Order: sequence, then C-alpha cells, then structure tokens
Amino acid sequence: MKKILVVDDEMEICDFVKHFFEERNYEVFTAFGGFDAIRVVKKEKPSLVLLDIKMSDMDGIETLEKIRQIDKNVNVIMVTAVEDKDKMQAAERLGARAYITKPLVLEELESAVMSYTKEQK
Amino acid sequence: MNLNRNPKQHKNNNGWSKMHGWMMDKLVDTEGALIPVNPEGPARLKPELDYQVFLENASRLMIRFKKPERLIRMIVNVIDEQLGISHAAILLHREHKNSFVLIDSKGESGVRIPVGFIRMTFENPLIKIFNERKNYFISETGVLVYDTLKALLKNKEAINGHREIADSIDLVIRQMELLKAIVCIPLYNKKNFIGVLVLGEKVSKHKFTRHEMGFFMTLANDAAMAIANAQLIESLQERVEEIKDLYNREHRIFIHTAIALAAAIDARDPYTHGHTERVTSYCLAVADELSGIPEALAYKNFKETLHIAGLLHDVGKIGTPDSILNKKGKLTKKEYERVKEHPVVGAAILSPIQELGDVAKEVKYHQERYDGKGYPEGIKGSDIPLIARIIAACDAFDAITSDRPYRQRKMAEIAIRELQANSGTQFDPLVVSAFLLAFEKGKILGSK
Repeated sequence: MKKILVVDDEMEICDFVKHFFEERNYEVFTAFGGFDAIRVVKKEKPSLVLLDIKMSDMDGIETLEKIRQIDKNVNVIMVTAVEDKDKMQAAERLGARAYITKPLVLEELESAVMSYTKEQK
Repeated sequence: MNLNRNPKQHKNNNGWSKMHGWMMDKLVDTEGALIPVNPEGPARLKPELDYQVFLENASRLMIRFKKPERLIRMIVNVIDEQLGISHAAILLHREHKNSFVLIDSKGESGVRIPVGFIRMTFENPLIKIFNERKNYFISETGVLVYDTLKALLKNKEAINGHREIADSIDLVIRQMELLKAIVCIPLYNKKNFIGVLVLGEKVSKHKFTRHEMGFFMTLANDAAMAIANAQLIESLQERVEEIKDLYNREHRIFIHTAIALAAAIDARDPYTHGHTERVTSYCLAVADELSGIPEALAYKNFKETLHIAGLLHDVGKIGTPDSILNKKGKLTKKEYERVKEHPVVGAAILSPIQELGDVAKEVKYHQERYDGKGYPEGIKGSDIPLIARIIAACDAFDAITSDRPYRQRKMAEIAIRELQANSGTQFDPLVVSAFLLAFEKGKILGSK
C-alpha cells in the first residue's frame, strides 16, 4: 500500500483527506504542522506529501526545505490559497511537483495524487 | 453540541414532530420568533400530516432570515440531526468565483467535507446536469439519488438509444462517489440554479423514504427562494451604498471646486479676506430658520442651492480690475458702475453649467433691494428669489462687521441694528427676522 502524508494545521482537513484517500487504498499519515511533518517523513518515508503552504508553526516552504534535506526524491504537491501563488516559485525550486489551489476541485486532488504515486513504482 | 447523533433517537414515527420542535427551539433562541403551534402538539398527527405542518411553519419562518448563511446552517442542521445521516453539505453559487463553494457541512470529522475546502465549477458533470436541467430527464423531481442512477445504468432497455444521457449519468455517479453523496438536491430560484444540497447515507443505512424526498424538494424550493431573496436584498444594499458613495464623492468634488473658485476670488481682494466663506456660513445659518417655509420648499434642493450660490455669489468679480478692487479711497462713479456689473458677469459665467440650476439666477439678483432700488434690474419683493434675498442680508452684515478699505470695522450690534433699520426697505423682513433668530442662537458669530 502506498504511503502518503497530509500536512495541514487544520485538523478537519487532515481528517477529511485521510479518510478520502484511505477509501482509495492508500496508507495515510497526517501532520498538523511542519515539525510534525518532518518527523513523519523521517519515520515513514511516504511516497508523496500533500503540503499546505500556510501553517502556523513553520510555513510550507520552510517545511519543504527541511523535507528535502531528509528525502531528495519524495513527491510533493503544494496546497495553496490563491493569494499565496507567488510562493510557488520557491516551492518549484525546491522540487515541488505541482500545486493545487484552495478551495480545490476534489477530482484534481484525486488525480494529482494518483498520477504522482503511480509513476514512482 | 451534537448529542443527538445516536440513530436510535431518529425514529421514523416521531421524526417530524421532533424536527418541528427543534426548529421552534432554535428560532425562539436565535431569532426571537414565535409561531403559534397546535396546542395539542403535532406528535398526535399522522406522520404525513406531521411533516406538512413542519413544512408550513418552515416556509413561513424562512422569510424571517435576513442572512442566508444562517438559514443554510439551520437547514443543514435540521436534516443532519433529525434524519441521522453520515454527512450533509450545501454548496452555493458564488458569482465572483464563478463556481460553487461549500458553505456549510455536518457529520463526523473525516466524513464531513471541511467548509471552504472544495469548489465545483460549471464543468463539473454534477453541476452541469443540474444547470442544464437534464436531471429532469432522469428523475421526475429533479433530485438525483445514487442507487437510482446505478440501477438506471444497469437497465439496458431504458438507456438504449440514449448514449449521451447514459454517459453523463456515469460521470454524475463518479462525482457523487467523490462526495460520498447518496442524494443530491438542486436549489433553483426561478430560472437560476443557485446551489446544491448534498446528503450522505443514513447512519441507520436505511434508504430515504418517498416522504422524505418530497420534503427535501419542498424545503429546497423554499430555501432557494429565501436565499435568492436574501442575496437580492444584499446586492441591492451594496448597490445603494455604491451610489451613495459615488454621489457623495462627486458632490464633494463639486463643493470643493466651488470653494476653490470662491477662494480665488477672495484672494484678489485682500480687504475682504474670508468674506465668501463667512457669508456662506451666515446664509446656511439663516436657511436653518427658514427651511420650512413654502418658498424654501419650492426649491428642488434649497440648502444645496444656497450653499453653492453663497460660495459663488461674487464670482463675477473676476471681471473687475485689480485697480478698483484694491483702491483705498472712495470709488468714482465710473468705477462703481464697473463693480455693479459683477452680479450679471457672475450669472453669465455660471448659467452655461446646467447642473447648477437656479444658482446663476440667485447670483444675478443678490444685489437687488427689497424695495426695488437695487441692481442690476431693480426688481422688488418676492420677485427677488429667496436665496438672493438671504445672500443680500448676509453680504451686508459681513460688509459692516469686516474691515474694508472705505469703512472701519463696526461692532456686530451696529450691524444688527442696521439690518433691523433697513428691514422692509433694503432687506426682506422675513430674512432679517430669521437672521436675528440665528444670531441670538449664536449661529452667526460663534463667540457671541
């Protein structure tokens, strides 16, 4: 079963996305912030990370930087609000594969996760 | 506060009366509304009648909600708590985002779709089918039910020759699976598709009954109407505010232009510095005393016209040479004739400006006397427009109380006495008495 990690400081969103992908046969881990996310990446080595840009403890870009120091190849999809679009260049330089803007289209979330987990193995 | 989630509490036989009771509580609670209820209680009615009572009350109550979000929250709450469903969500069309956005949701964490997390565009097959009204080809009520759609696809006979509809049903099923939706109810207001109510399965796993479906339809119709009304009121209010702002801004620009012009005139005449400003403020104070009289009411906008006429009454002095304006001694007859031209010159300057309306006329006659001995035309009494008569008195008062090259400053009392002495000859007695009233109230010279 493929492992994915959902990082968002809103617990409700973590829960929903976890439930959503568990029903699609993924093993889903959740992290409510940057520090938590780094710990899970180290321990579980997920094949994909869904990373919210705006978080209270450490922002998504900084978290991505730290994740890259642990795992150079993990697929990362950024989840952003429209107003954070300018941060995407920084995320791209750090090797983020794609970004999805909130409020999001569920189908796009599903297909992005599926396509980036498929190509890995 | 979701203590009622246990499905055992949602027994069919008293569901509607509970819903009714719940709604009453909430409304008395939050809106202060009180609707007379059958004193014997709806619980004694048959279930079918029961929800009809509920519906009648619900649709009456919906009109009371000024904020659509509150109404939506209530609808979702009622359905969620009373029917015991895994989750419920409502999406509404948001014009500025050109999509449908999730406004409220209910259910266990993980199953409930977080508010603001998802959107659906017009390309979404579910939105599309509702927007194009093709749901009515599939379902008589327009409500889409997951099981029915599944069964329909399996029924080769029914879909034979309707490939296109079969394809779109397939896509809709997929969308409903993404949302974990068992029932999708469209909200229409007249011709517009404005939202969709999404319901998950019942916690009891029972199917929705026909009665419940009918109830959803009626509730959806009423809700759509209430939402649309509230949105209409909201957007009308916004529009009114916009127009008000626009008017205020334009009006400000206009008044400031007039003030700038008046200041330019004043600046040329160092001895009368601030004259225009003072005369205008006296005029406005006198106008307060006169605003109820028929002659004032006959103006389209009495105060406004007076304000602008006050500011611009000497605009014609633009044509008076500096040598005359700045002269320290008494003016010669010829020079005085030049000064007397300024009301006509002023009117000529202002009359092409249509927006100024009566202002040009008031400027033209502000040097007329009540007894007809003024200039430029020598008209008298009420032939002189009211505003011009007010300006005449205020202008004279300021001339007496201000330093002028040809006259030493006099005390305000002397000026008042002069106004009284010339009441009925030079000045309109009505204006003079209004001036005295304003003066006594301290509105003419603040310090007095």
